[in-house]
Order: sequence, then structure tokens, then C-alpha cells
Amino acid sequence: MDAFDKNPSELAGHTARPTTESAVASAAAPELIGLVTHEDVDRARDRWEVARARSKGRKKKFGGIHLLWLLVGPGVLVFLGENDAPSMLSYSADGSRYGVGFFIPFVVLTFIMGFIVQEMTVRLGAVTHRGHAELIFDRFGKFWGFFAMGDLIFGNFLTLVTEFIGVRAGLGFFGVRPPIAVGGALVIVVAAITTGRYWTWERITLSLAIFNGLFIPAAILARPDWHSVGHAILTWTPFPGGSRYEILLLILATIGATVTPWMLFFQQSAVVDKGMQPRDINAGRFDTLLGALLASLFAIAAILATVPLFHHGINAADFQAAQFAEALEPLIGHTGAALFALGIFEAGIVAAIAISTSSAYAFGEVMQTGHSLNRPLREAWPFYLTLFGSACAAAALVLIPRFPLEFVVLTVNVIAVLAMPPALAFLLLLVNDPEVMGEHVNGFWANVAGVAVTVLLIIAGLGFGLATVFPKWLGG
Amino acid sequence: MDSHHVDISENQGALAGRDVPVDVSNDVKSEQLSLQDPRAVLSLLEADQVVAAKRRTHFGRKNLSFGTKALFWGLRIYVVAMLVIVLISVYQAIHPAH
Repeated sequence: MDAFDKNPSELAGHTARPTTESAVASAAAPELIGLVTHEDVDRARDRWEVARARSKGRKKKFGGIHLLWLLVGPGVLVFLGENDAPSMLSYSADGSRYGVGFFIPFVVLTFIMGFIVQEMTVRLGAVTHRGHAELIFDRFGKFWGFFAMGDLIFGNFLTLVTEFIGVRAGLGFFGVRPPIAVGGALVIVVAAITTGRYWTWERITLSLAIFNGLFIPAAILARPDWHSVGHAILTWTPFPGGSRYEILLLILATIGATVTPWMLFFQQSAVVDKGMQPRDINAGRFDTLLGALLASLFAIAAILATVPLFHHGINAADFQAAQFAEALEPLIGHTGAALFALGIFEAGIVAAIAISTSSAYAFGEVMQTGHSLNRPLREAWPFYLTLFGSACAAAALVLIPRFPLEFVVLTVNVIAVLAMPPALAFLLLLVNDPEVMGEHVNGFWANVAGVAVTVLLIIAGLGFGLATVFPKWLGG
Repeated sequence: MDSHHVDISENQGALAGRDVPVDVSNDVKSEQLSLQDPRAVLSLLEADQVVAAKRRTHFGRKNLSFGTKALFWGLRIYVVAMLVIVLISVYQAIHPAH
């Protein structure tokens, strides 16, 4: 261990500052020339493609499209990953219980709120080139750094269990036995991760994530009344009937679950691993907005796909994926039901990849070990061990006979919403920190939007968490 | 072309362009940008993107204002309360009320 590793923050001249100075032009260049790693080379290769696309884009009418194609990734993945198996089942339950109405525009609103929060992680990652956990550790000390990491990894592990439950249930519609379904999903997760290149991992995962759109043909086959859909979007009506307590709980849960901790950590770390720089922030915003729009579109499709259950008075409150598909089959046909089940399977797979990767990033950042998908297994084995280990352990739990999986499903939502306030507080502190963000620090309107959304998310999340644990407080 | 060489024959302009912060020496002003040359790698990355540079520099501890310190104490209390609520939730999940 050299002198720099002991107390780097206390050494003069070794305090990081936001900068866009090229490494080759920096004062440390003569030292760095001999210290270039495999990870640096891979990242430089990606940056070269971006530079070429940016240069060509000035000359061609649609040259910017290639640049956007190169820079799109973390934002789309984080939002389509958030459309995970439990979320898609939750949207489906909304459609089956309340039909076309309030929840369709409400879902779009929640994704807009999510965009406001996630955009801040793009700027943090592109400016500081450090992950969320690493910044918390550096700026706020070891306690909060380890708390953020531990809290994230624990919550992520429980969420991973629910993803593999979704995988098992989705493929269960096709008669695939649980060990084969879960084992197959693990093979896909491992295959995506062991590429040794962030770019390749990202493109594989994006290719899987786009299948979240399977809910669109399922929704079309459900033959919704498009006039009612348009009316609902414009007027936010009809408001759902039934128990006010249940509706309030549902609204609080939907708002509170708009952004979950893993999303903050994942997108910022992915932006860093992708090598994005401050000049890429606008493209990162586009990427995030595209992800939010796609996810809201696919969420609406999941709602519409199960509206036939509402019209036929079928109580689907406790349905799992296979039960939804089986109930839908006589109403929307075998193809529609199969698409729905495949969509749940896809939702679980992509979320499993993204969530386990976010755990690995946070672990590596706090433990200060290698933490990049550009590193081969032998160079970053703690990173990959965290990634594989969490996914394998979650998958194994799902296969244990008589394991109380309902307990996991019940508690994971509570843990996720309760873990958000500290994560959001740190996000706002960091993005308003001029020593970290430089000229990209939050402006007035960004703070107005950011603080408003953050406060709303915290109140809703706390309300849902407390109401779940102490239902009588809200009149339940 | 092996994976460590990038063809820049059509992109000399890109190298000279403002968006490519390349401070190349005559050694790398060639048809191909060789990523085996560490200077070419460094020319494409910002100073604090290089792994070795990131290991040696850290954002220091933030000087906390009174309000921020109060917020952190509030978060500490919140974390304790959160753990209690989670434990209650776990207990309720194991022993559901009938």
C-alpha cells in the first residue's frame, strides 16, 4: 500500500475536484502513462466511438442519431429494470381491479417524477466519474458509506428473490418446471455479465429489456376501448371506486415505489462505467427521458392487458403471473396470455441483471476494489462474486420447498420505501455540492423540482410503510 | 485490424476537433489511433477517469453546516426507527393477525 492509499483525502493535492481536463494534458500524465489499465483501454475505445460519432454528427442531418445510440443505455435500463416482475404484476392488478381510469395518467406522472430524480444521478456520474456509494463514503464518512452499501445490498437481495419468483411464475404458464426456469434465468444473467466489456453487457441487457414491450401486443389483443383510454388520460377519470383506505394505500405505494434505492446507485455507476463525460449530460438526459417514457408506455400496456378481467368481474387481487395469464387466456386468447407471461419473465430477468449489478457496483466502490464491467473476472473477482453471489442466492431461495416467499414479498416493499429517505437526502446534498459538481451544481428550478419530488416521495413512502405496518393509523 | 487499433484515416478532422481533447504528439499523428499507446488512451479520458488517478484522489469530507449536521442526526434517529418498523413488519409477516 503506498502513501496515497492511507489517507488520500488528507494529502495536499490529492483531493478530487470536478474537471474536464484531459488525462494526457494533466500534471499527472507522466505518471499515468505507465499505469493505464485494461479498464482504461476499454473505456477509451468507447470514448473514441463517441468522439467519431460526435464529429460525424455535425456533418450529417441525422448524424446525431448515431451519437444518441452510443450514449443511450443507463437511463433506459434503469427504468425498464424498474418495470420489474412485481411492478408489472402491480400494474396488472390495477387494471384488473379498477379498469381504465385514474391510474393510467397517474402512472405517467410517477415516471415523470422518477425522471426528475434520476436525471440528477446522470449529472453526478458524468461530472464526478464516481459512483453514488463512493461519493457518500468520501463526502459523508464511513458510517454512511457502509450504511448505504449494506442497506442497498440487503434490500436488493430481497428484491432479487421477488424477481426470480416472477421468472418462475411467468414460465410456469408454459409448464416449465421451477428449477429449469430459475436455472435458465441464471444462465442468462451469467452470460450477460461475463462479457468483460461494459458496452457488450449494456447492449445485451438492452436487447432483453426492450421485450418489456411484449405487454403492448397483449394490450392490443385485450381490445381496450381507446376512447375511454384517451378520456382517462385527459381527465384522470373515472376515479377508482371501493375502499378509500385501499385506494390511498395503492396511491402511496405507487408514488413511494417510483424510485427505489437501487435505481440511484445503478444509473450513476453505469454512467461512470460507460465513461460518460459532462459534454454527454444532454444525451444522458435524453436517455433517461426515453427510459421513463418507454417504461410508462409499457406500464400502461400492462394495465390495459388485464382490463378484461375487470369487465368480467374477476377478482385478481392476489394473482401471480401464471394466474393472470391463465385468467386472461379465454378473454384475450392464448397468444395474448402467452405474451403477458413472457413479459413477466422478461421483467424479472432484466431486473435481476440490473439489481445484482447495482449491488456489485456499491460493494466495489465502498470496499475500494475493482468495480467495472470492463474488467475481466480475474481482476475484479469481488465485484463479480457479489454480482453472481446475490443472484445465485436469491435464485436458490426461490427453489427451496416451503420457503415462506410470501414473507419476502410482503416485507420487500416496506424496506424499499423506508430506505428511500436517506438515499434521496444524500442525492440532494451531493447534487447541490459545488465542490463535487462544479458548474453542474443544481440550479434554482432544478432544486424546486428535485426537492418537491423528493419530499413527495418520502412522505408517500413513509405513509405506505407505516400504513402497512400499522394499518389502523390510516383507518384501515 | 486488431482490437487495439482504431482506424482514423477518415477522421483526421475529429482528432483536431474541439470535442476530441487530444494532445497528441507526432508519434500518434498517424492513420491509426493505437490504443496500445497509453498516450492515446489518456487523450480520450478525462484526468479523473483514469483508474490510477481515481485511486489516488478522493473527494474529501464535506464541511457540514449546522443544518446538515441536524439532518444527519435526524437520519440516524430515522434509521433506528426504520429498523424497528422493519422488525415489526417481519414479525407481522411471520405471525399474521387473524
